[in-house]
Amino acid sequence: MNEINRIYPFAAIVGQEEMKRGLMLNAVNPKLSGVLIRGEKGTAKSTAVRGLAALLPEIEVVDGCVYGCDPGDVTTMCLECRDRLEAGEGLPRMRRKMRVVDLPVSATEDRVVGTLDIEQAIKKGEKHFEPGVLAQANRGILYVDEVNLLDDHIVDVLLDSAAMGVNTVEREGVSFTHPANFILVGTMNPEEGELRPQLLDRFGLCVNITGIPDPALRVEVIRRRAAFEVDPDEFARQWEAEEDDLRRRIVAAKALLPKVRVSDDILFLIAKVAIEMGVDGHRADLVMMKAAKTTAALKGRGEVTEDDVRGSVDLALLHRMRRKPFQDLSMDREKLRGAIGEPQSGHARGHGQPHSHSHHR
Amino acid sequence: MGKYRRFTFPFSAITGQEKMKKALLLNAVNPRIGGVLVRGEKGTAKSTAVRALARLLPEIEVVAGCPYNCDPGDAGLICQSCRDRLGDAQRIEKVLRRVQVVDLPVSATEDRVVGSLDFEHAVRYGRARFEPGLLARANRGIIYVDEVNLLDDHIVDVLLDVAATGVNVVERESVSYSHRAEFILVGTMNPEEGGLRPQLIDRFGLCVQVEGVTDPARRVEIVRRRDEFDADPLGFIARWREKERQLREKITAARCLLPTVTISPDLLELIAELSMEALVAGHRADIVMAAASSTIAAWHGRNRVTEGDVYEAADLVLFHRVREAPPPSPEQPGASPEEQEDSPEQEEEDDSREQEPPEQPEEAPPLPDQESLEPEDQKQQEDQERDREKEQNTPPPAAPEERVFAVGQPFQTKRISYDRDRMLRKGSGRRSRTRTASKAGRYVRSTMQRKNNDLAFDATVRAAAPYQPRRRRGGTAIAIETGDIREKVREKRIGNFLLFVVDASGSMGARQRMVETKGAILSLLLDAYQKRDRIGMVAFRGSAAEMILPPTGSVEMAHKLLEELPTGGKTPLSAGLIKAYEVARTHLYKDSDISPLLIIISDGKGNVSAGADKPLAEARRVAEIIRAEERIKTLVVDVENNGFLTFGLAGELAAALGAGYYKIDDLKADTLVRAVREVE
Repeated sequence: MNEINRIYPFAAIVGQEEMKRGLMLNAVNPKLSGVLIRGEKGTAKSTAVRGLAALLPEIEVVDGCVYGCDPGDVTTMCLECRDRLEAGEGLPRMRRKMRVVDLPVSATEDRVVGTLDIEQAIKKGEKHFEPGVLAQANRGILYVDEVNLLDDHIVDVLLDSAAMGVNTVEREGVSFTHPANFILVGTMNPEEGELRPQLLDRFGLCVNITGIPDPALRVEVIRRRAAFEVDPDEFARQWEAEEDDLRRRIVAAKALLPKVRVSDDILFLIAKVAIEMGVDGHRADLVMMKAAKTTAALKGRGEVTEDDVRGSVDLALLHRMRRKPFQDLSMDREKLRGAIGEPQSGHARGHGQPHSHSHHR
Repeated sequence: MGKYRRFTFPFSAITGQEKMKKALLLNAVNPRIGGVLVRGEKGTAKSTAVRALARLLPEIEVVAGCPYNCDPGDAGLICQSCRDRLGDAQRIEKVLRRVQVVDLPVSATEDRVVGSLDFEHAVRYGRARFEPGLLARANRGIIYVDEVNLLDDHIVDVLLDVAATGVNVVERESVSYSHRAEFILVGTMNPEEGGLRPQLIDRFGLCVQVEGVTDPARRVEIVRRRDEFDADPLGFIARWREKERQLREKITAARCLLPTVTISPDLLELIAELSMEALVAGHRADIVMAAASSTIAAWHGRNRVTEGDVYEAADLVLFHRVREAPPPSPEQPGASPEEQEDSPEQEEEDDSREQEPPEQPEEAPPLPDQESLEPEDQKQQEDQERDREKEQNTPPPAAPEERVFAVGQPFQTKRISYDRDRMLRKGSGRRSRTRTASKAGRYVRSTMQRKNNDLAFDATVRAAAPYQPRRRRGGTAIAIETGDIREKVREKRIGNFLLFVVDASGSMGARQRMVETKGAILSLLLDAYQKRDRIGMVAFRGSAAEMILPPTGSVEMAHKLLEELPTGGKTPLSAGLIKAYEVARTHLYKDSDISPLLIIISDGKGNVSAGADKPLAEARRVAEIIRAEERIKTLVVDVENNGFLTFGLAGELAAALGAGYYKIDDLKADTLVRAVREVE
């Protein structure tokens, strides 16, 4: 119990709105396929991820199942649970917090996808599959710090599983598949090397963060952190109302999401932006649409507006644009603004003021 | 253990990408076509289409319980166990089943692909039994390799071999077994991620290039359908069931019609001509083209092949087989006089250059014979070189502030090679052989050291054998203790990491020097491509250095960036070196097995410093830091022109780095090999 209280409240994080938005969007809609946080050290990246997990409502799982299957959903169940269900057995249920599974940079492929327990296999003549990180992360958050330093091979495996929602193991005499639906959160410091474009593209959203340049806010960061360290429980109590509010918004947005509608005008706007930005393929369109829908849901609206799209282009497109040598990010941002800022004559302008995302606090 | 189900987007619901769909359907009708390679940018429904195809295919009849999907109607080709069952006068049960699409994950080990000794069985019953691998499961089905260009070379070799013979022969770890493995090979690749060996490319019957749809209305349709599918997969699939059924019937109808399709001698001649025009190697293209043409005719419900069918087939068959000189076809360079020295050096100081009159701000016009210069023949390359010499008489253009130079003609560089070493390494490539710590690679011997969980079963059993009479067996045939366990030592070829550090300052613009330089880089890149090296590129100019190409296996990407690389501004040499050092260090951190080789291409005339020091002094200091890191190897390619007045600054830089040093012209000579060996 104490463990949970030690987590710095998500709502108490100062600034870094874009990152928080990226995480919240994924929390509401895991189909956004993850978020990549690019930025310097010490910018509350992992604090935010842990805070998010603590914030999210508890999930119902099959007690004792490694994969944490949802007892209410046959389609996403692991084979064992499904067999038990089909055999007419009841599945024991329990509620628990969403897990944050850390993937260390040094992780081997065995650890990630799971492996055969060799000792047992050879001594007893039994094959026993030892589930890996992907199994643990099912229905939780998989947090990969410094994803750009991870072996490319492992990143491939990760992103593949994330995209399919399934982990397929084909190695050393094991052929096995299990569900692996997780929110993938990666962080990287671009100074230490970039991620391959192919891998970048697989992250649904990407946010770029920097330290906060405003002295007053910086002071606030220090003050809150100090208060948290002195008395975490008291600090958590102070932020409880805010946290509850956020939690309610997420729950409400999740419920609303399937009902959010997107008009053709909005879809054409999305297509136009994607074409103008010259992004590869169609993944960007899909992500923009999903992000806009989720944004609308978070705002409690049943209809996507142009503003929702504007709010999501940065997150969905910046990492997918082709950059020329010696061209910096701000130019890309400007180009994006140009593409999204001037709606075609057919589209009415005036859904609120452009670019003023209503952040809480 | 078994399969976990997932929903498949219906084939008929895929918007656009007609060519890809056609190629897949043709293979479905006629597996003899030999598979499809789908090349294209990310996010273009490549994987979706392949997975959808499996759902679409009509079912096949197989022997119940046979791991090799034997065809009960074909007694000549059935596997050993099926034959035994027939011999025992047992009845073979037939079942209808869906065509298998076997995913070959990029991480698959060789054991799983070809099959291996079933050691569970061996330990329990003391008998060696073959455990079928992916190739067995794929018999009479489809093998799908996503990102086939990233597959380990070792596995690629196996795939190629089996695809060619239709039989999987296993001779390893005390198992000796062979079985049929006839499959359609479907691969996808993003060329930006690295190339594929021509040998493997040729093995794919058809190849299609896919791109994102640019029509907004269709883009919207794509998003709409995907959204509908994600929201309610079962409902979506149900809505498309009728369309799917129609398509399936069309496949069945075409299959029935196919054996009756005839092709006239005239059209066969046309096929031969088309192949010759495309300069394809060998005859596979002709054979595939004939098969594809017939299949297209059958698809359209005709039993005669038309000329249109042949052209349609040629499009799919020749795309990947057309031979060009080097893989990324380079632009013809403009005139690039190099030896000419009738004007004094003009790039000592940046300021002085700014006052230079911009004589010819445009890029030099392409050579007049560019049209005829189809890259097909070495001789023509020589012609072109002669042309270039002729053009040396025209006055050279001066360097304006910023311009983008074409890439010079590449040439064959001499081999850069590291000797085999005994260190454990990971990575893959073809430049050097090495011991590998990952599970990919060929099993060469066993070891008692436990670190990999990579069991060498044969060796383990041998180790345990002498003690069997004394050990107690708990229900197993062999008693094995922890001390008996042996692991595999594997060997594979690894690539190197070559980091190009390119001077893109104004001084490089003088007299087309950048064209030559880009040509030289491209030559090295092509060499790197053949060796499966990883490459990266850092460029410096103005006041900063930038990583323009993160480490990648893609020469194509490097080529594209090289073309776009602008030239102009001052020369922040030390910044370039620092950046390169950082990149190399990061790489070492990520993959300490592979030593980065920095290839610094510059004239060494640094004139901007990052700190307070004089530019050249600072560059020297950075050079010494790099020299101190033993794992980083360096080479300096001097691009300064030969002439009356040379500064030899690049030579000094090389000395400070302790680096191999050679002039740009040396790249063509044998010296490069020696230079690199000396670095080693």
